[in-house]
Amino acid sequence: MHATNYKLTELMVVRCAKEINDNEVVFAGVGLPLVVVSFAMATHAPNMILFTEGGSIRATAPPGLAITVDDPALFCNGDATFGMLSTMAALQRGEVDVGFIGGAQIDKYGNINSTGVGDWSKPETFTYFAGSGGANDMATCSKRVLAIMPQDPKKFVEKVDYLTTPGFLDGPGARQRLGMIGGGPTVVVSTMGVYRFDEKTCEMYLAEYYPGQSVEKVKANCSFDLTVSPDVTETTPPTEEEITILRNIDPTGFYLG
Amino acid sequence: MAVSKLMTLKEAVSKFIKDGDTIYYGGFQIMVPMAITHEIIRQKKRDLTTVESSTDVGGLDLLVGGGCVKEIHSAWIMNWYVKAVYAVRRAFQAKTTKRYDVSNFGATSALMAGFLGVPFLPVHGNIGADMLKYNPTDLTVIKDPFSGKEITAVRAWRADVAIIHAQVADKLGNVMSWGTRGVTDEFGAMGAKRGVIVTAEEIVEPEVIRADPDRTVVPYFKTLAVVHCPWGAHPSACRGYYGLDIRFSQYQGKYERDPELLPKFMDEWVFGCEDHAAFIKKYVQKFGQESLDRLKPKLGYKPKFQVDYGFHDPGVWKGVPQFTDEYIKA
Repeated sequence: MHATNYKLTELMVVRCAKEINDNEVVFAGVGLPLVVVSFAMATHAPNMILFTEGGSIRATAPPGLAITVDDPALFCNGDATFGMLSTMAALQRGEVDVGFIGGAQIDKYGNINSTGVGDWSKPETFTYFAGSGGANDMATCSKRVLAIMPQDPKKFVEKVDYLTTPGFLDGPGARQRLGMIGGGPTVVVSTMGVYRFDEKTCEMYLAEYYPGQSVEKVKANCSFDLTVSPDVTETTPPTEEEITILRNIDPTGFYLG
Repeated sequence: MAVSKLMTLKEAVSKFIKDGDTIYYGGFQIMVPMAITHEIIRQKKRDLTTVESSTDVGGLDLLVGGGCVKEIHSAWIMNWYVKAVYAVRRAFQAKTTKRYDVSNFGATSALMAGFLGVPFLPVHGNIGADMLKYNPTDLTVIKDPFSGKEITAVRAWRADVAIIHAQVADKLGNVMSWGTRGVTDEFGAMGAKRGVIVTAEEIVEPEVIRADPDRTVVPYFKTLAVVHCPWGAHPSACRGYYGLDIRFSQYQGKYERDPELLPKFMDEWVFGCEDHAAFIKKYVQKFGQESLDRLKPKLGYKPKFQVDYGFHDPGVWKGVPQFTDEYIKA
């Protein structure tokens, strides 16, 4: 039965989790990705393998909510507690199926900025955020990249102010020319809908919009000329059961509000 | 060589950190060396360069806000609980602190290169990204001498001094940590040219650490100073000792946000505290013992297999004749 009472973040997490397949190796960054993977492991992907930058490798969901990528919960009954070197080396060896990241700006080729806005070469104009963290490595090396982003015209932009994390760069063939071992972005889940990438043009297109949203509303919250799939659909809302499982993962609403 | 390196935080910082030093800033989102950070600010150290992969809870933001840092080489700097590092942001805009960005694995590889004592390492990331464009100090593209293909090279980072927080140390300077192999601490610390300053929750006898040397992340010969410092990573978490203090990180972050307010935080929580014990005492006075108690972790995640390192005495072969058979010629 579809839930009638759920928050937007909850819809996002449930929808995003469905992009993860069972048995995949998923490298999850800080923030919502950590909740999404716990939810995926508790539902349709019990054999997923979780990697984090903090050095955790685990086949089971952590016993408590992980707030950081080196959260003590990630190491309690984990399968291996290596360091950043060991987990990120798996990216370079090409062993990671899904790199799962967030960011502050994204363009139509899936290039992501998590460094800051303004002109970096004129420091007085540049507002720093955090920096790459592991996002650049995940996006360069994972077989595919899953991104989660709030929908906002300042975030879905024609050109990112600082290219922290490569998507398809300036289009078809660019990743291959630079010898990137990973396949690039395949899905972007926002607060309004779900995007995929055209295999030929490498450009992002709208594949789904959330219940209560519309193609027009999404377009109004995107600064580049957004391509819409002819098969665009409304996203299936989460079920009551999914919402219950999710709220048990984050009982105090740290992530879900 | 049983020289005790136990000393106060004040002694450790004044003796081993000099203006202009390059510092490996330990920890990640947890195990941040906050007590040492406060002491460096208190002693008004200047023109430091920091190297690390990623750092949270605004420790580095306070160090920059305290006017101690000239250059930052990093992949990620945050106080995640206010979603920014405001002092770093202001210092970059004012050009008082330069930033040299790389990716996390770029940073880890830079520290690994320092650990290995080689000048650089190739990495897959950073190519095609703006870090490569804006940080030629740490990143460049080279040709793989074997295949001829292009790959990013990251320059080795070697600190003068590493500052880390750990669960346990002994007076000699052996540092024991568990739960993750110290993120990049083992490489960042071991790569330091002069050595390591460690704060630890507990000081144990050297025999305790020697009984389980797998858990040693820094052996004593690299250690300059050992400081017994409970709550030394607060408000970040220390595995097995306390959890993340989200409320204090947010509280501190609200001061970081405002350049007018930050000096008030410094006056009260840094300059107004003689040492970290005084900081914790102030915390309890202001926010109550119940806030500190709330940080108690869920324990009981202990090894279920008791290991025994064991060894074999080759002396048992004394006097035992060579094994032989008809194929072996004498």
